[in-house]
Amino acid sequence: MLEVVNVTKKYGKTLAADNVSFVVPQGKVGILLGPNGAGKSTIIKSIAGLLKYQGSVLIDGNDSRTVAAKKVFAYVPEMPFMYEALTVREHVDFILKAYGAEASEEEIRELFDRFELTDKQDKLGNELSKGMMQKVSICCALVTKPKVLLLDEPMVGLDPAAIKELKKVVAELREKGCTILISTHMLEMVRELWDVTFVMDKGHILGCYDREKQENEDLEALFFSVTEKEAAALAEEA
Amino acid sequence: MEALWFLYYRTFVNKLKKALHKPVTYVYIVFVLFYLLMVPFSLKALAVQAGAANPGGMAAMLTLLAIWMIPANLVAYAKRKGLVYRESDIHFLFPSPITPKKVLLYAYTRGLFGKLLLLLFGICLGGIAFHISWWRLLLYAIFSFVVETFMEGCLMMIFYGNERMTERQEKLFVVIAYGISVLLVLLGVYTYVTEGTGLAAVFTYLQSDLIKLVPIIGWYASVVHLLFLPPTVMAVVGTICYAVFTLVVFLIAWKLKCTGEFYEDAMKFADDYEEVLQKQKSGDRTAMVIGKKTKYGKVEKQNWNGTGAKALYLRQMLEYRKTRFLFFDLNTLLHLIVGIGIAAFVLFEGETADTTAFYIPGVAAYMMFVFSGFIGKWSKELLSPYTYLIPDSPFRKLYYVTLIPNLKNLIQAVLVTIPGAIVIGMSPLATLLCIVTCTAMASNRLYAYTVGEIAVGNVLGNFGKQMFQMLLQMIVLMLGVGGAFLGYFLGGVTLSFLLMAFAFLMADAIFMVLSTLNFFRLEVN
Repeated sequence: MLEVVNVTKKYGKTLAADNVSFVVPQGKVGILLGPNGAGKSTIIKSIAGLLKYQGSVLIDGNDSRTVAAKKVFAYVPEMPFMYEALTVREHVDFILKAYGAEASEEEIRELFDRFELTDKQDKLGNELSKGMMQKVSICCALVTKPKVLLLDEPMVGLDPAAIKELKKVVAELREKGCTILISTHMLEMVRELWDVTFVMDKGHILGCYDREKQENEDLEALFFSVTEKEAAALAEEA
Repeated sequence: MEALWFLYYRTFVNKLKKALHKPVTYVYIVFVLFYLLMVPFSLKALAVQAGAANPGGMAAMLTLLAIWMIPANLVAYAKRKGLVYRESDIHFLFPSPITPKKVLLYAYTRGLFGKLLLLLFGICLGGIAFHISWWRLLLYAIFSFVVETFMEGCLMMIFYGNERMTERQEKLFVVIAYGISVLLVLLGVYTYVTEGTGLAAVFTYLQSDLIKLVPIIGWYASVVHLLFLPPTVMAVVGTICYAVFTLVVFLIAWKLKCTGEFYEDAMKFADDYEEVLQKQKSGDRTAMVIGKKTKYGKVEKQNWNGTGAKALYLRQMLEYRKTRFLFFDLNTLLHLIVGIGIAAFVLFEGETADTTAFYIPGVAAYMMFVFSGFIGKWSKELLSPYTYLIPDSPFRKLYYVTLIPNLKNLIQAVLVTIPGAIVIGMSPLATLLCIVTCTAMASNRLYAYTVGEIAVGNVLGNFGKQMFQMLLQMIVLMLGVGGAFLGYFLGGVTLSFLLMAFAFLMADAIFMVLSTLNFFRLEVN
């Protein structure tokens, strides 16, 4: 389970996230939606422990900054950056050592096959295209078998086959009880995947939606109904 | 730690393998070895000349290094800018379950290989130039690489990992570090007043008991003194202070609770560092200031007319207009200061020879080599696809793209020339020719970059390309100097400047024609 409790983050005088709270229950896929500048990246980076913030983030019941939480957590950032002198395979080996996780040769091979990286295993980080880097980044996240997975715009730069594979992987992980939070603009891509959706704008959560309780399951319609309502309210206020 | 060791080891091995495949690596190795062999012997000659070819000289040199390095390191750590993390560390390392303290140690120890090499060099230097016995040098090596590194690492951890430290306290530490520097300067002034100038006074200053009282730096100097020179009470006291201080900072660092709040600062620094690294990779050696970004203001809408390549110039101008000082920067100010400096020097030294006028282009050439890179802001035009798509001739493109940099060169040439020219009493024609000489010389550097791009591209790597560009410029400088000699002996200073200016302008013209080739092939960039 992933719990974000009253997270507030300021950059100087700018309030990037204001008392943000939400929960992604175990085995569910949460989608974080919002226009540019809504504060999604701030929340994602806060969950990943990259920012100082007020409030708390609990991963599987532990504070996100503890080793216990980080052991069961994996993060795929929007922009992948590789170690330029490590090969694809060495990235995976490094992550396994860092997380104290284990994966058999067969599991690693299967993962590489799924993302078409088998013949790229010996390529160095600085020899990869952005799409390839994103695939390696995803493989590194998956190889640790996380309980909580955070994906920030994971489909950007991926080819259609990889997107299809990633969607399949997300569905499989959900089946296995993994909690997943995806921040994305590509609503079409997560249409079949979502269980809960959080719509953010200007550092606030404008609405939380549970698919089971929602009559209108169309994410796009949901997103625009919330953000346009907010824009109209603001215009009226002005 | 196994993961971090793996990261170190594999990175090192892969980088080494890659480097050994490049022929240019072997050229660099020869250069470095030659340099490493030459420097100790050159320094030995200098030390003998200065009467410092003894252990005291080594102690003084190390104290001087400590005065220079320690406050700078303290300030960097206090501002959380002393450790370099790459974007890949942020991606993989920061969110991983590796504890933040280990993440700190990882970045810190990454710089130790370089320190080890420097230390080895220092030991050789100590043996060759300062005649220090090998066992003392070995003791120093152990102290420097183990104790000093350990103490600095603890300090680093305290500054980075301390999550209770407020911004105000951080600033206070910076002030303290600067305070130590001021204290050292005051001690220097005191020594100057009591001992006068000269090398002897410098040695008195560096080996004085007062220096040994200064926290950290002085205590370090005490240890060095004890290692290389007969013991004194102050050296023993300073050494004890150093040991106690090391123990205290170790205990604080050990007990410190660190959850990784420094990641945010490290992330910001990594962004800035990456930007600087990219600029340096593309050959901009002047890109060193991290974290200072140009602020752009707003300007009123302009009705500028211009079509074709002129649009490039207008765009650059618009960008400069949005900055505070247009295209005047630190370099411009520096040229003015140096110009005034030349005038003051001539005035106070009472130089009367007509060759004094050559100080100006000489100093301008030195400044050009030291303070300016081959490329500036304008070079980004070569990376923009629009530059290639604009329907205009390559020569007009080159002309307009480099118009503002050339204008800057002219302004700098005027600033560096005029004060000296007035004091020396140069004729208006000679002054004008001197300005043209300095401008053409600087423009030559600018076009050497574009010629280098077209001639060697990426075949020799960035360093190799820069070497080629320097070689080109050296040849042109030699031609200019040759012209200056010829002109001076045939007709005096004015003719000398005329021939020098002619040589540089001709080289500019040739380089410009060659440079236009850059605008035919977008793909190489």
